[in-house]
Amino acid sequence: MNQISHQRINSDLLRPLFQTSWRFYLLVGLFGSVVLIALVAWLSQAYFGFGITGIRWPIYWGFYVTNFVFWIGISHAGTLISAILRLVDAGWRRPVTRCAEVITVFALMIGALFPIIHLGRPWLAFWLFPYPSERLIWPNFRSPLVWDFFAINTYLTGSVLFLFLPMIPDFAVVRDKATGLRKRIYGVLALGWRGTPKQWHRLESAMSIMAVAIVPVAVSVHTIVSFDFSMAPVPMWQTTIFGPYFVAGAIFSGIAGLLIAMALLRRFLHLQEYLLPIHFQNLGKLLLVMALLWGYFVFNERLVTYYGNEPSEMAVFWRTQRESFAPLYWTMVIGNFVLPVVLMGIKYFRTITGCVIASIGVIVGMWLERFLIIVPSLGHKYLPYTFATYRPQPVEIIIAIATFAAMTLLYVLFAKFVPIISIWELKTGGPSERMGPTRQHSSVGPVLLDRPRD
Amino acid sequence: MPRWGMAADLDKCTGCGACVTACHAENNISTVGADQAAVGRAKHWIRVERYWEGEFPDVRLKFRPVMCQHCDNAPCEPVCPTYASHHTEDGLNAQVYNRCIGTRYCANACPYNVRFFDFFNPSWEKPLHLQLNPDVSLREVGVMEKCTFCVQRIKATTIAAKAEGRALKDGEMNTACAQACPSRALVFGDLEDPESEVSRLSRSSRGSKLLEDVGTKPKVTYLSRQS
Amino acid sequence: MKAIYGLYGDGQSAQQAVNRLRAVGVTDREIVVISAQPMEEFEFGHMDSKTRIWWIACLGGLIGMATAFGLAWLTEMSWPINVGGLPVFAWWPNLIIIFELTMLGAILATVITLVVTAGLGRRSGVYDPAVSDGKILVGVENPTESRVRDLESALSAITGAQVKAI
Repeated sequence: MNQISHQRINSDLLRPLFQTSWRFYLLVGLFGSVVLIALVAWLSQAYFGFGITGIRWPIYWGFYVTNFVFWIGISHAGTLISAILRLVDAGWRRPVTRCAEVITVFALMIGALFPIIHLGRPWLAFWLFPYPSERLIWPNFRSPLVWDFFAINTYLTGSVLFLFLPMIPDFAVVRDKATGLRKRIYGVLALGWRGTPKQWHRLESAMSIMAVAIVPVAVSVHTIVSFDFSMAPVPMWQTTIFGPYFVAGAIFSGIAGLLIAMALLRRFLHLQEYLLPIHFQNLGKLLLVMALLWGYFVFNERLVTYYGNEPSEMAVFWRTQRESFAPLYWTMVIGNFVLPVVLMGIKYFRTITGCVIASIGVIVGMWLERFLIIVPSLGHKYLPYTFATYRPQPVEIIIAIATFAAMTLLYVLFAKFVPIISIWELKTGGPSERMGPTRQHSSVGPVLLDRPRD
Repeated sequence: MPRWGMAADLDKCTGCGACVTACHAENNISTVGADQAAVGRAKHWIRVERYWEGEFPDVRLKFRPVMCQHCDNAPCEPVCPTYASHHTEDGLNAQVYNRCIGTRYCANACPYNVRFFDFFNPSWEKPLHLQLNPDVSLREVGVMEKCTFCVQRIKATTIAAKAEGRALKDGEMNTACAQACPSRALVFGDLEDPESEVSRLSRSSRGSKLLEDVGTKPKVTYLSRQS
Repeated sequence: MKAIYGLYGDGQSAQQAVNRLRAVGVTDREIVVISAQPMEEFEFGHMDSKTRIWWIACLGGLIGMATAFGLAWLTEMSWPINVGGLPVFAWWPNLIIIFELTMLGAILATVITLVVTAGLGRRSGVYDPAVSDGKILVGVENPTESRVRDLESALSAITGAQVKAI
């Protein structure tokens, strides 16, 4: 790779760090205010009492748990792209890998807030952590919520490290290009990185191990989140399909989130030469596959329920399909299945715009899917005297909207301080298409293995 | 070791609601006001479910008092992350208010919907605060609460009997609801004692368990003639 | 003199420089190569590649597994609480905790090994910011006075080399 390409890549990808327009401040101000409003809303819930939400007997979980499952689901974007595509050596992942991993980390952080937000006594949330207390009492390891605690923390730790490690060489580039205070800060962040073969080799080995480790963790995390439902004898909850169903749904919504993020970055950071239509098409094909997989799981779940014809399950079944929840249910089907299959299945529509439209449909559809798993079942369990409806209240709606604002805010801030496309990984890839070369490892000895570079 | 259980005779229940009132009084359960009750915030540890069956003029009215069934295979217990909901040695499902952080998973898991959440700090208008039972702790906002089979009465009577060096007699101690029931539809006692009234009633041919097929192994037997 | 090095525009020139240094008698341990990306297609990109990090990751996983098992066993057996009729130490639910902490152990072990073996956070040696623009640095740190001339000629022999001494 010649000097001009190097310098070009450096200047293109470092421009957002060194140049700030008024739009940045506007976005931060706007989304920051929404997040602050939500914080005030939550604090007022803690102060005035949980009763200001719409939660009621017997529907004890509503918007908060929906958001929890939704955002943990979105977090599977990064794992798929960074880890799985890295493991199968798919070179086209290179410009996309950090965008995806950033979504993972921030979506996890947002999702992981909800187990605290939805607690009746959130100031005691630390009891979920296993620490020796003078009362000799520990958390209940048999509870799905404790599994959640361990799984999400493991995944968050792994994802943060998986995101941060490949940022180190890029921090070194920023350190070299910056001056003054910025140079010193990035110098600290770069941890004295130089770029010797030893360091590169260690880094790549560590990344491979992390990729291998993070995939089962990601699968386990959303399976465990699904256990929050399948461990309770609630009609249409106690089904073994929830594990794989949730994981597939998570990867599905993650890809959709990634497509939207990529389209926005491409537009607003002028990355048209790095995020190419082929990237969108490849991810669009993945979106299609996941849409079909989602349809397969829904068909499975509903056919088996329908065939069993158990009264309490069928009551919930019809509630979603025909009765009070039908508008939401069919919107979900259109958003999750019809739209992505049509738009991503027909090559003519598989453009960047098509991908974004399909992805927005999936985001809406997947949020509704989480809601429709939780609320119709809880409002219609076994005893007719206890059937009820749930009405979300302003505090829940504000917090739900604010999660999207928070995600955008964190993303905008990240793109300001860290190159959103991994510079060194991009350079490691081939010239024009940024498709990575297949690695050829030499035997020991001064044999020159050369790939002609322009 | 006793195993506490109840029997509810649906043929005797008149739906008067004395059990509900007695429970509120005994266990310091606050009322929440009409508005909050309308949005499902009421905390009736025992409630009388009323069902209308049939078309006019052949309408039948059925009452079923439902309280915590203290299931031996309770779905609410394994899911609590802090062991606030667990099973005691005498067969009760205990709810430890101090340990509850309010995840409300137990309430979702309960098929009988007999678990209640304190949405606000309970309050009693003066002079009702003078009527509070000193043997029962007050709950604060954010914790779950439910029927305890009047565990304070169980403990008090057990301690008194032990101090006198004798065993508990059947009928010596009663839950508030069973004590208040005018038609003696509710019976409380020790299922381990085969001669106790609740044991005999649980073996009755009119007896059945509520939602038995969910597999919770409840300890309340409902008696009714199949009509 | 802290170091003498040359900056080269592409991997081929850098490889030639490394070969010439070896010809002059510099050992592999003394050669410093710095690049802006891993140069795995070239032989010099494989210097120092032996690593035990995979084994250490497995070891970390085992430690995590033991920790989780110990935590679950000791805490559940010291205060046995009956929940829903489940056994006090139930294998199926505890396997989840054991799995998570195993993976966490492997991940943390990997990261700690990386930080330690890559020398992250420590004061490092020679560096030139031109590396970020795609140059590859090949040089020797702390050369003895007598060797400087040889090293300089070896490094300059390749066309397009920029030789510097600090």
